[in-house]
Amino acid sequence: MKLVYKVLASLVAAEVAVQAMMVVLGDAGLFRYVEQGGVIDKASAESGDMAFPEFFAFVVHGMNGMMVIPTIALLLLVSSFFAKIPGAVKGAALVVLLVAVQVSLGLLGHQITALGALHGLNALLLFGAAVHAALRGRRAATGATAQPHARVETVV
Amino acid sequence: MEGTRRRGARLRLALAGAATIALLGPPAWMWQDSLMPGAYSVMDMGYADYGGALTHVAAADTSAHGSHAEHSGHSAHPASARSLTSLTADPDRAADVVITLVARRQRFRLAGGRSVDGYTLNGASPGPVVHAAVGQLVQVRLVNESVPDGITLHWHGVDVPNAADGVAGVTQDAVGVGRSFTYRFVAGQAGTFWYHSHQVSHEQVRRGLLGALVVTPAARPPAGTADVVALLHLYDGVRTINGREGDVHAEARPGERVRVRVINTENGQTPVWVAGAPFRLAAVDGTDLHEPAPVRDTAAMVTAGGRADIEVTMPEDGSPVRVHIGGPAGVVLGSRSYDVPAVPRPATSLDLLSYGTRAALGFDPDRPDRRFDYEIGRRPGFLDGRPGIWWTINGHMFPDVPMFVVAEGDVVRVRIVNDSGEPHPMHLHGHHAVVLSRDGVRATGSPWWVDSLEVGAGESYDIAFVADNPGIWMDHCHNLPHATEGLVAHLMYEGVTTPFTVGGTAGNEPE
Repeated sequence: MKLVYKVLASLVAAEVAVQAMMVVLGDAGLFRYVEQGGVIDKASAESGDMAFPEFFAFVVHGMNGMMVIPTIALLLLVSSFFAKIPGAVKGAALVVLLVAVQVSLGLLGHQITALGALHGLNALLLFGAAVHAALRGRRAATGATAQPHARVETVV
Repeated sequence: MEGTRRRGARLRLALAGAATIALLGPPAWMWQDSLMPGAYSVMDMGYADYGGALTHVAAADTSAHGSHAEHSGHSAHPASARSLTSLTADPDRAADVVITLVARRQRFRLAGGRSVDGYTLNGASPGPVVHAAVGQLVQVRLVNESVPDGITLHWHGVDVPNAADGVAGVTQDAVGVGRSFTYRFVAGQAGTFWYHSHQVSHEQVRRGLLGALVVTPAARPPAGTADVVALLHLYDGVRTINGREGDVHAEARPGERVRVRVINTENGQTPVWVAGAPFRLAAVDGTDLHEPAPVRDTAAMVTAGGRADIEVTMPEDGSPVRVHIGGPAGVVLGSRSYDVPAVPRPATSLDLLSYGTRAALGFDPDRPDRRFDYEIGRRPGFLDGRPGIWWTINGHMFPDVPMFVVAEGDVVRVRIVNDSGEPHPMHLHGHHAVVLSRDGVRATGSPWWVDSLEVGAGESYDIAFVADNPGIWMDHCHNLPHATEGLVAHLMYEGVTTPFTVGGTAGNEPE
């Protein structure tokens, strides 16, 4: 379970990195499209397939953010119950909390744009929390293999 | 010592198990509860909302609240119940306009030459413009030659008899390959409308199963007027007017009055503005506005699914006029030249709440028989097993949404509140509703009749209509992917039932 915890926490961190990459990729494609004379309004934005290839990145960002990452975060919290790592539950709960904040900020940012800036900032906090949890998992994993050895030493 | 440790480990494991159940139990239950049966009637969906009216049906059915799987539904009806299949145009009357539309799945070329993999009607997309005069009976035979999922045609904005509304699983079965279906309705009102498939509509509309419907006044148009259809649709993300990339050119003589019928078949609103002359917004959603004044340096917003008739009087000096439809593409009206520069979108938009002058509504919206709330929200959950953040109606997620129940002749008021953070173009089938107020500010302009109303994030609208067209009618978001995400409710008349089911052997999937 320690390994599962570590892997899930690393996955959250990797997914946050993917999210950052996707949204900037989409923006870059959008700006180039506009520079080349493309016009975008609500009708084209909602049409499902936009006329620039990087549009897929926005779709990935949305699906990842609203479905995949919350699911991984929840599984991380479950694995933390069984992981026998000090502070695992706390670490995972923090990740879940930050994911919830992140999704809310992302959606509310459509209406109150300043919250979009906080969405970017919170992404860094979430990334940090996920990496921290993954490292905690690794320390515990290496610690666990060393432990029996240490006990033998004290007995002898 | 060893025993204590083992007991401690066991206790810890039990605690972890309990925490897991506490954490995953509710979502697992919600997931299971969200799964839709293979076939269901919209009459059994959600819970009945009688809009404050206590009727005999209401008294017999006060318990109808719960999940789709459990309750007996609001389909319990008095003995006088009639199937919506009987709600048709006069079957003995001969049709005035007779058309056959053959639907195919194929690769086709747009007017500009671009190749598109999609659907056609009579070999083209958009399909042919259907023309009728007011009072004529239109009869359209729809043949499905090769669209695998089946098709229907919905007459968007036309208050057709319910059996001709073309909603798969509600008013008919999807028309499978090799089959046909005939729609009959009287064109009751002059105006601009359109038709589109209402089977897997988010996909079939996007890929081309649509066309324009123009109903002209019974009298011949006066001399010195012209009429241009401008149907906006995006194919593979490419913006087109009447299936053509770039400008559509139309001839118009100096001094001539031209009506440009803008149809927005897309999922989001689009602005329309005019360069080279002032314009009047003559009609919205197929209903003429009352005494609309000429405006310039102003954009008119066309709701997704909505229509706007832009009326321009051509300059006497023979110079051309450009009607911008959301960007570079548009309609250029001219006589000798079509060379008119593009102008940027004006900063101001026309507010229909105060445009035009007042006129009688024909009914009193301040003494309604029913009052409904249609509050749109959003929250995490499961939609037919899919996790996500889905739309809610009055706090309930699809399919546990309200069924708005009315009786024929009722004056109905609906308060639409959008707390979901995204705009929604709300479309009520079979009726036109008049806008009474927005965010508490009363309408002071021309009566503003809509079938597709853009409700922006954070906005609220009060609308009213007369329940004069019995049947079971969809009342949904016309950002069609939003409809697949659960933003669908129905308006149902007491005593009307449907034999059709969503799902089932016909594979009905209206959204």
